[in-house]
Amino acid sequence: MRKWCAVVAVLALLVPLTALGAGAQGATIKIGVPVPLSGGNAKMGDDISKAATLAIEEWNAKGGVLGRKLEIMTFDDACDAQQSVTAAHKLVDAGVVAVAGGYCSSAAIPASAVYHDSGVAFVADASSNPKLTDQGFENVFRVIGRDDQQGPYAAGFMTKTLKAHRVAIIHDNTVYAKGLADATKAALSGKPGVQVVFFDAITPGEKDFSAVLTKVKSLKPDVTYFTGYYPEGGLLAKQFKDLGVSGKFMAGDANNDPTFVTEAGAAAEGDFVTSTPLPQDLGTAKAFVDRYKKRFNQDPGPYSALEYDAVNIVINAIQRAHSTDRAAIIKAIAATKGYKGATGSIGFDKKGDRTTILYIPYIIKGGKFTPYNVSS
Amino acid sequence: MTVALQQLVNGLTVGSFYALIALGYTMVYGIIRLINFAHGDIYAVGAFLGLSTYGLLRLLHVDNPILTTLLGLVVSMGCTGLLGMLVYRVAYRPLLHARLSILISAIGASLTLEYGLFLIYSPSFLVYPHLFDTPGMSLGDISVSGLQIIIFVSGLVLMAALYLIVHRTKIGMAMRALAINQDAARLMGIDVNRVVALTFFLGSTLAAFAGVLTGLYYSQISFLMGFLIGLKAFTAAVLGGIGNIPGAVVGGFLLGVLEGLAAGYFSSRWKDVVAFGILIVILVVRPRGLLGERVVERM
Repeated sequence: MRKWCAVVAVLALLVPLTALGAGAQGATIKIGVPVPLSGGNAKMGDDISKAATLAIEEWNAKGGVLGRKLEIMTFDDACDAQQSVTAAHKLVDAGVVAVAGGYCSSAAIPASAVYHDSGVAFVADASSNPKLTDQGFENVFRVIGRDDQQGPYAAGFMTKTLKAHRVAIIHDNTVYAKGLADATKAALSGKPGVQVVFFDAITPGEKDFSAVLTKVKSLKPDVTYFTGYYPEGGLLAKQFKDLGVSGKFMAGDANNDPTFVTEAGAAAEGDFVTSTPLPQDLGTAKAFVDRYKKRFNQDPGPYSALEYDAVNIVINAIQRAHSTDRAAIIKAIAATKGYKGATGSIGFDKKGDRTTILYIPYIIKGGKFTPYNVSS
Repeated sequence: MTVALQQLVNGLTVGSFYALIALGYTMVYGIIRLINFAHGDIYAVGAFLGLSTYGLLRLLHVDNPILTTLLGLVVSMGCTGLLGMLVYRVAYRPLLHARLSILISAIGASLTLEYGLFLIYSPSFLVYPHLFDTPGMSLGDISVSGLQIIIFVSGLVLMAALYLIVHRTKIGMAMRALAINQDAARLMGIDVNRVVALTFFLGSTLAAFAGVLTGLYYSQISFLMGFLIGLKAFTAAVLGGIGNIPGAVVGGFLLGVLEGLAAGYFSSRWKDVVAFGILIVILVVRPRGLLGERVVERM
């Protein structure tokens, strides 16, 4: 009897082993998608992971890549440095071949070091802080523009189109917001007759910014530019109007979200947001938008098309590399040239930054983000 | 000068919220000597229940903004008050004589409420309907919105009502008796548990009132909204002299104004440093708070 027990026990041990062996052959190719799924930016994370899901579903419908099915692994980075590093380790341990995602720069930059140490390619979709690619990591790429590109763009728009002479800049001390604020300030300081009258930070997570805005009001700015994220952006836009601050309210691309308008209500009318174009406003993304709407029954978020391209670039690289080897994928991604994505043609320079990138101004009209015609 | 006046208006608005929440801390401390860490989260629950009521009313096609606001306030205050009593019954009453355990129980209650909201409602923030989209009035260069006036005045009215309840009614007399000597009060035939539960009810309704107004005024609520403001309201209660009802009100307004001035004249980033620095100085000079903890009559 005891012998039988031993034999059964040994067999029981073997079962999971054989299961493992069988798994390795037809195993799915895993692509990591770290995004914020909790906290104030959870909605962005949801939009991004949906786009990634759409991308791999389309590939799987065509039979996957290299004869294997694809799978995305989503982990919550909560836009937090510590949690993003934990998420990065989890993804690497889970055996992802590459990572495409991330939203906040403050989460993406610390995580990028983990990916670098493990030799995993990281294609950032929404992290625009210059530092990300300035670290010199050969495995880091991004499909979005850099803040030091958006900054000069915003500065030019304020001074040329809005004819601003006195500019107030408000950031929130996060890596992304500070980066964009610095870049905008630097670009403005070169222009004659333009003065940055206010440059300070608010604290994310707070609700009452009337004290800061009262100070801004006393400086009589022509344009107030907020470079942080939409949870505070909507509140600022509302309190800006309530206090009757002079001039226009303008915000950076992290405010390009309908919640900005629902939060600010009627006060958002006439506010400007500089941004990479929404998928809906991009000719090249029309097919993507239709498929996304059909699949999820909702409009894609501002970064959905970028994430869709990021995931596709990874899969495209796997296909060209004919391998799921992490190093081979990095090489193949670096060699990407003229890839026709939903957000236009994509290629990377030596740093891993995208070579072609576009910003446009939006104005809020009738509660909607409307592309603003600069010439009008 | 106008800047200073505007900062005063801003500070009084924020201070109203602090004061309303500080009252709950101070009443509970006055009676059972407990720092009710869950009180900030009770405030958050109030805000969410208000939002739920609005959603329900919209489904029933009740669109009158004044009616919905009043109903939202009443429903939220009532339910949150009952929740406050429930928290007392479940988390505090069995531990009334275990000083350290009850503190841990309070932290537990706080986390339970926070993550209860997280799971039931949303991990991200929610947006309140814009019921009063009236532009602010301008007195010269100073803007005051209608909602700011409502917040300030209704806050003062509620605080006065609370003061009257505590000092002019029989139940208030029982509360004060408890604050002085629980055993003696029990011997005089006061139902201690009932009176303490009622104290929790009153404190929680005030917090819920603040919660719903926060939603209406700032239009953004989240499950963690009670944490920081709870800490600040507690500070305000200590500043005014914990256990002292007028003290909590004075402390709340003072903290709000100090923060506003600090953000306006130094930097928003230095706001808390400056405000809390001043607090430390005040407490060093007057360890019992501005109005002092009344030793004989703690409320």
